[in-house]
Amino acid sequence: MNWTFRQAMTWMHTWLGLVLGFVLMVVFFFGSLSVFDREIDRWSIPQTRFEPQPMPSFDQVLRPLMAQIEPSAVEYAAKMPLLHDANKGPMTPRAALPIDEFWAYTTHRDPVLLVGADFSVPLPRDPAAHNHIHARATIDPRTGAFLNDDQLKVGSAFFYPLHYSLHLKWKNAGYFIVGLAAFIMLAALVSGVIIHRRLFREFFTFRPRKHLQRSTLDLHNLTGVLALPFHFFFAFTGLVIFAASIYLPLGHTVLKPLHDRHAAQESARTGLPQTRAGVNAPVASVDAMVADARRRWSDRGMPGQVGFLKIHHLGDTNSYVSIYRAGSDRVALVGEGIHFQASTGRVLHEDPPREPASAVHQFLTGLHLQHFEHWLLRWLYVAGGLLGCVCIATGFVFFVEKRKQQHARQGSAQARVVDALGVATVTGMLLATTAMLLVNRLLPADLNGAANWQIGAFWGVWLISALHAAGRNGPVALGQRSPAWAEQCQALAVVAVAAVLANGWSTGAHLWVTVPAGNWPVAGVDLSLLTTATIAWAAHHKLKRQPGMVTAHTQRTSVPTEATHA
Amino acid sequence: MPTSPPRLSRWSWIHRIALSILGAYALTWGLCALAVVALVANGADFHEAEHGVLIAAFLVYLAVFLWSFATPRLSQVWLAVGGGAAVSMAIALFWQHQLMQ
Amino acid sequence: MHEWMPWLLAPALAHAGMVWLALAMPTHWQQVRQTTTEPSDRAVLGLRSLAALALSLSLLACLWLDHPSMAVLVWVMWLSVAAVVVTFGLAWRPKMWRPWTGRFRTHAGGEQPHHPR
Repeated sequence: MNWTFRQAMTWMHTWLGLVLGFVLMVVFFFGSLSVFDREIDRWSIPQTRFEPQPMPSFDQVLRPLMAQIEPSAVEYAAKMPLLHDANKGPMTPRAALPIDEFWAYTTHRDPVLLVGADFSVPLPRDPAAHNHIHARATIDPRTGAFLNDDQLKVGSAFFYPLHYSLHLKWKNAGYFIVGLAAFIMLAALVSGVIIHRRLFREFFTFRPRKHLQRSTLDLHNLTGVLALPFHFFFAFTGLVIFAASIYLPLGHTVLKPLHDRHAAQESARTGLPQTRAGVNAPVASVDAMVADARRRWSDRGMPGQVGFLKIHHLGDTNSYVSIYRAGSDRVALVGEGIHFQASTGRVLHEDPPREPASAVHQFLTGLHLQHFEHWLLRWLYVAGGLLGCVCIATGFVFFVEKRKQQHARQGSAQARVVDALGVATVTGMLLATTAMLLVNRLLPADLNGAANWQIGAFWGVWLISALHAAGRNGPVALGQRSPAWAEQCQALAVVAVAAVLANGWSTGAHLWVTVPAGNWPVAGVDLSLLTTATIAWAAHHKLKRQPGMVTAHTQRTSVPTEATHA
Repeated sequence: MPTSPPRLSRWSWIHRIALSILGAYALTWGLCALAVVALVANGADFHEAEHGVLIAAFLVYLAVFLWSFATPRLSQVWLAVGGGAAVSMAIALFWQHQLMQ
Repeated sequence: MHEWMPWLLAPALAHAGMVWLALAMPTHWQQVRQTTTEPSDRAVLGLRSLAALALSLSLLACLWLDHPSMAVLVWVMWLSVAAVVVTFGLAWRPKMWRPWTGRFRTHAGGEQPHHPR
């Protein structure tokens, strides 16, 4: 291979950027939506449209839940036969599984509380293994009432996991695809800088009045370069978040001996028991422990709320309660854990301040996961994410524009294929998103399987958009623009407005009600939908006005008719 | 616009892409394992070492990937990346074994 | 009403810094002043110094309002937003920044008859 470094970077940026760009578009877009995932949840589940609540009293509200929460039926059916040793006795029924651990989690943006329990498996095949069947539930912290399982949290349970795993759980395939895309993003950013010859001179350059290929490349460069720190840091920190568990799990594989030795030493040092003692003991007042923890944080100069609470080895003398502080005021997640002996409320261990590398690691993950309370920064993150989406989308458009004349002459379908994928990934994805929100508001609140209908609507509409894009873009094979872009923009505007109307119709929370009331989560989603509709309509209008066609005549004069427009 | 690279077989491209992505990944694994073991052997806490190394890992992976992709002779890449991965991982595992005694 | 006003400082300063940074480049100087002459070396130095000052003050404004770890992130994001806004401004309404070139001079030889881009 006889090429220069720059040529290599150009080739890599073009082809790997193109292929992984389709994945990156999804990751960046749903990542941007995930900034406001809990607000989207509230829009999609009207019963949760109330103010964020702090962690409720454990003794009054959460303790009774431990008796009511049940192991997941799906997980029980799948995992119990694998974990249980039939030779030792009959399989314990699901409702009779003993509860081993219980946790509760909230942030400053959550009206509802997420709780979970890990149930142990009696008579397991491998006693040393992690023998747990899990349960998860959402409760109203004001009353302790369980939220219906079937109510899909469109933001935090659909858009957010789509962003980091593409909902492809088999062997963590989705995580690896996203990870590869993030890594190629880093490579594309670095190679983009290397091949962009006039980076500083063209820093502020945007020439919208030139022909489409030039102005698209300008837009691609500017959205890439001007937000380069953001793009680089988000791809990088995204990889760091899953590094130890998925991408480079050293401690669970090649370095497991060292990892396990460390865990045992850690347990001995902190005094936190790793196993049950087998002797029953009640749980003392957890509220008193919470009060103690909050006082200790205050004494340390970092007063705060409880973000995460977990009881280990529930009901045993070795049981302990871990209480972590919500990191709402800094770029770090939950921290400052304090561990109490469950039966007496005595402090067993206070997590020490982090050592340098761990502190940097926590900063990097906190930067990405944004538990901090800073609405301006959240919106700036959305702006960065959308700039990233524009960078990727203009990459597709530039690829097609640069090659479609040549491919038309050669009779190649490559530009057409890329254009169809581009339409599907940009406008198709937006259509699927807005359609899902629309269906969410149209379905009756108590419908069984409502979650599946919404998920079906999302994937179904996306598939239809892709087919529409493929079917309508014959003109690209002739070197012209596909009408699918304009048509899908039009559809997007209609569906987005319909979603807003459906919200008002189904809940009475029209914009003229929510804005004066200061109900910003709901109003914010509605306003974002209307903004999307406006931009989509303007784009549709503009695309329809421009001829977008290069005839043989204009080819000879080499001045494409697209050049006339601002 | 830079001149296009010479037309090579599709397999040659696939070979280059796969080697760059997977080979650099393998080398990263080996170097990270070695770095963590070395730090722990010098008294560092395991999780502290792991956190530090994993942050550097993706930057190392990126550099190795870019080098692998651009290097004209793939045999050179195989030697550096494949050989490096094998050697560093072997040292890491051997050293870990010593530490566990 | 007034509590959000300090929050305008950082973006305003970032925006100002980016405008001055752009004006220090011959292409954009010419766009804004509708001329073919280039800024003098002193003008470039002066504009870049103003830019550096404005961007630094923008960082200070962020630090004044927030915990440092978040202030730095806010500042970096404002720089990107400001740069994008200035880029679009130069593309569609460059003349609005004419007053920002102030008393800075062009290269020796004075101004040529204006030549719109």
